[in-house]
Amino acid sequence: MSNSSLQTKPPMLELQDLSVSFDRQRQLAVDRVNLSIQEGLTLGLVGSSGAGKSSIARAIMRLHDADSGKILFRGEDILRMDPREMKAVRQRIQLVFQDPLASLSPRRSVGQTLLEPLQHFALGDTLSRQEKIRHTLHTVGLDHDVLRRYPHQFSAGQQQRIAIARALVTDPDLLIADEAVASLDVSIQAQILELILDLQKDLGIALLFISHDLAVIRQIADEVAIMYRGQLLEQSSADAFFSGPAHPYSRALLTFASSAEPPRLPDGNWNLEQARSAMEVNASCVFAHKCAEKMPVCEQLEPRSHRIQYRDERAMEPHCVKCHLYDEATGNEN
Amino acid sequence: MMRETWQRLKSDPYGLSGLIVVSVFFLIASCVWSGLLGQGWYEVSGTRWEGISAEHWFGTNLIGQDILQRTLFGTATAFEVGLTVTICSTLLGTVMGALSGWYNHSWLDEIILWLKGVLDAIPFYLFAAAVAFALQGSPWAMHVAMIVTFWTTTARIIRGEVIRIKQRGFIEAARAIGLPGLKTVFRHVLPNTFHLLLVQASIVFVAAINTEVILSFLGLGIQDGVSWGLMLAESSQEVLAGHFGNFLAAGTALFLLLMGFNLLADALQDALDSRRIVR
Amino acid sequence: MTVPALRVSGLSVWIGSGADSIQVVDGVSFDIDPGEATGLVGESGCGKTMTAMAILGLLPSTGVRVSCDHIEINGRDVSRLNTAQRRKVLGRDIAMIFQQPATALDPVFTMGQQISAVYRRHADGNQRRAHEAMLASLESVGFERPEEIAQAYPHELSGGMRQLSMIAMAMVCKPAVIIADEPTTALDSSTRALILHQLQQLQALHGTAMLFISHDLGVVRQSCRNVMVMYCGRLIEKTDCQNLFSHARHPYSAGLLSCIPQLGATRPGRISSIPGQVPALADLPSGCHFAARCNRSEPRCSESTPVLDAQDKKGVACFRPL
Repeated sequence: MSNSSLQTKPPMLELQDLSVSFDRQRQLAVDRVNLSIQEGLTLGLVGSSGAGKSSIARAIMRLHDADSGKILFRGEDILRMDPREMKAVRQRIQLVFQDPLASLSPRRSVGQTLLEPLQHFALGDTLSRQEKIRHTLHTVGLDHDVLRRYPHQFSAGQQQRIAIARALVTDPDLLIADEAVASLDVSIQAQILELILDLQKDLGIALLFISHDLAVIRQIADEVAIMYRGQLLEQSSADAFFSGPAHPYSRALLTFASSAEPPRLPDGNWNLEQARSAMEVNASCVFAHKCAEKMPVCEQLEPRSHRIQYRDERAMEPHCVKCHLYDEATGNEN
Repeated sequence: MMRETWQRLKSDPYGLSGLIVVSVFFLIASCVWSGLLGQGWYEVSGTRWEGISAEHWFGTNLIGQDILQRTLFGTATAFEVGLTVTICSTLLGTVMGALSGWYNHSWLDEIILWLKGVLDAIPFYLFAAAVAFALQGSPWAMHVAMIVTFWTTTARIIRGEVIRIKQRGFIEAARAIGLPGLKTVFRHVLPNTFHLLLVQASIVFVAAINTEVILSFLGLGIQDGVSWGLMLAESSQEVLAGHFGNFLAAGTALFLLLMGFNLLADALQDALDSRRIVR
Repeated sequence: MTVPALRVSGLSVWIGSGADSIQVVDGVSFDIDPGEATGLVGESGCGKTMTAMAILGLLPSTGVRVSCDHIEINGRDVSRLNTAQRRKVLGRDIAMIFQQPATALDPVFTMGQQISAVYRRHADGNQRRAHEAMLASLESVGFERPEEIAQAYPHELSGGMRQLSMIAMAMVCKPAVIIADEPTTALDSSTRALILHQLQQLQALHGTAMLFISHDLGVVRQSCRNVMVMYCGRLIEKTDCQNLFSHARHPYSAGLLSCIPQLGATRPGRISSIPGQVPALADLPSGCHFAARCNRSEPRCSESTPVLDAQDKKGVACFRPL
């Protein structure tokens, strides 16, 4: 992965000021997010539930309309594509969901499920399709004798393997995994993570890996992005992030995730009641109401996304933090 | 999946007995349709109100027709009405329900909901009389009245289920590869409503036979042929005179068939319930 | 020697009847002392929840068969009680915290009504005193304005607040034992930390024994002193948390631990995973259920079953422990 030509390459997928909202809700699900994913690498998108991670995935697949902004896939805006161009993109981008059983059609056999994308995108003829299905099943570690069986006849781990096979059968360039291991037991989770890492190594696909679990992200991501209430608070390479997270929220997340013996609450206001009442107050930084290092300016001015350091030559993007602490123009002593 | 269902149905004694009763009646109806049984329903083969004898097992009616023959023929009528109404109203209800559920909150949904509301608001027997009058003597008037009113329940059930299924992950997965809406409905949504449809169809079947009896009793039913309803209508005079032949024959046949069907429907509901699949 | 707050011995549960029945819990025995938190860890389908339901007597009477030597709460056997007697015990001596507070709470009553109802049934019928107990309980789980929570309906609260209210409800009669079934699984990491923190405080305050069921070893480590590992319906290792994390003795426990992804400044290498799959409960191998997946297994592992010493706090069901 360490090759310097990466730097000159344009990103595979780039979100520019993407905003997404739900009907009749004032708060944006995704609020002016800028993100990019490089060919063949993994971006780990982290945040608590309701942070807008899944909305980004849904907006990329055009399962939900975006309000404004651009989603560039190899330089072309997905949001402005006609149905034919979009169909070509859908073949290149595939989704894996959280709940494997729910994401598989219950009355269709594994064979039918895997055949559907091939038929829909008109890939290959009858014979080569069967060959492709067999090959893909083998790739995810399943025998081809599963073809006639139905989803409920498998264990959760096998179901997720089938879902991954369905996503891989069209030879995508980008795989979006939306909490793909969150509902699995740790031993199964380890097997699936291992599978995804192997697949990425063999097939060279890029990965947008959405998770609330930082330890899982550590295993799998080259690049980390932290979201909170629709906004992107920090983006950096995984190594830089895990050796020194910059944003107060990132630091809190890391404290929660590391399993110290007694549950330790990091500094800051984590009281649930106040969190609720703070929803109505429109503080300028989305994290201000919980922040341990809040300054007066945090409630008056929205922080800019700020570049705090340049990374080593492998880096594709600078380490960016959306916090007044790192902004020389607004933050004080820091 | 069918095999699992059959296994579960087989181990349910009530469901199995229901299946046997319905099968026997269906066999009789098939024999009538193929001309093996009940062909002499209109012949005057005896004298009025004969008792039970070797020649007339259930006796004869007012004008000397054989009640057994009429009961057998009535079985075929019952199945004919039941099947026609069930198939047509279930198809109509499924299509309407799937459309309004899939295009939830759209103008199409509104129109279908409004139509359902109007049909449900009209008293059924009044509506049946109006249809019979409008179709003046057509043998299908009763069928049409039932089909036009019975689909609403099926549509309501399917609409709710489609709305529920629409939010499941595999629909999202189908949309993610850009599968067109109607294809998604037929390939991924409707197969998952199959268990509800089967149960609802069996309820409609029972309702259709029941309604046929009442409509025939009111003189709005079968025009050509005989049905259990017509026999019961005849019997209302006879019972006062102390002749129970028509009443017992038609009443018992009706009771047995409906009972068998209800048992079967209950058992099917249990057997098809996918939540009972032990993982 | 103290009387354990909860003593379970020889608990087995079968689902189904006759020859088709599947044993989902197999001879589970353990003690929990007052004020002690014990974690019950295992993968989904290993029988954790079934064990909890059987202890509480909440399993349906048809289609499920439960057998046990005894289940004692503070030395009193509750396993032979009839339904009415058991109802008196539930909520007063032993209470349960569920994974999904949203479904375990009644949407048409306010939190205050639901909590005082528990108190009035088990402790004191007086409305005013029940109200006070309810507010005190809500305050004890960390709500600063308990009156507001008491007047709220479950849907008006966030997931974390609902779970805290659920804990307040479980604690209102100060039971001797609480069983928490995956209480933090549906919650965010910050809320999870808060809830575990509150649970531990309450437990220390009232000396409540807790059986903490979770699939997440990290969470159990954060909230329990002792831990039991379950596999295919059997307890396979009992030890304290420190010990489990530093040197797990059963190969399955060790495998489970190695599957947990680690956080660190350097990216970890290959993830290790346990080979193979959990066998189907209907088709369990004889002997040690883990033998087929175990790299230390020897012939006797699949011939005879290694047993765990019933009431001991530490032990391992393995012929060749690590």
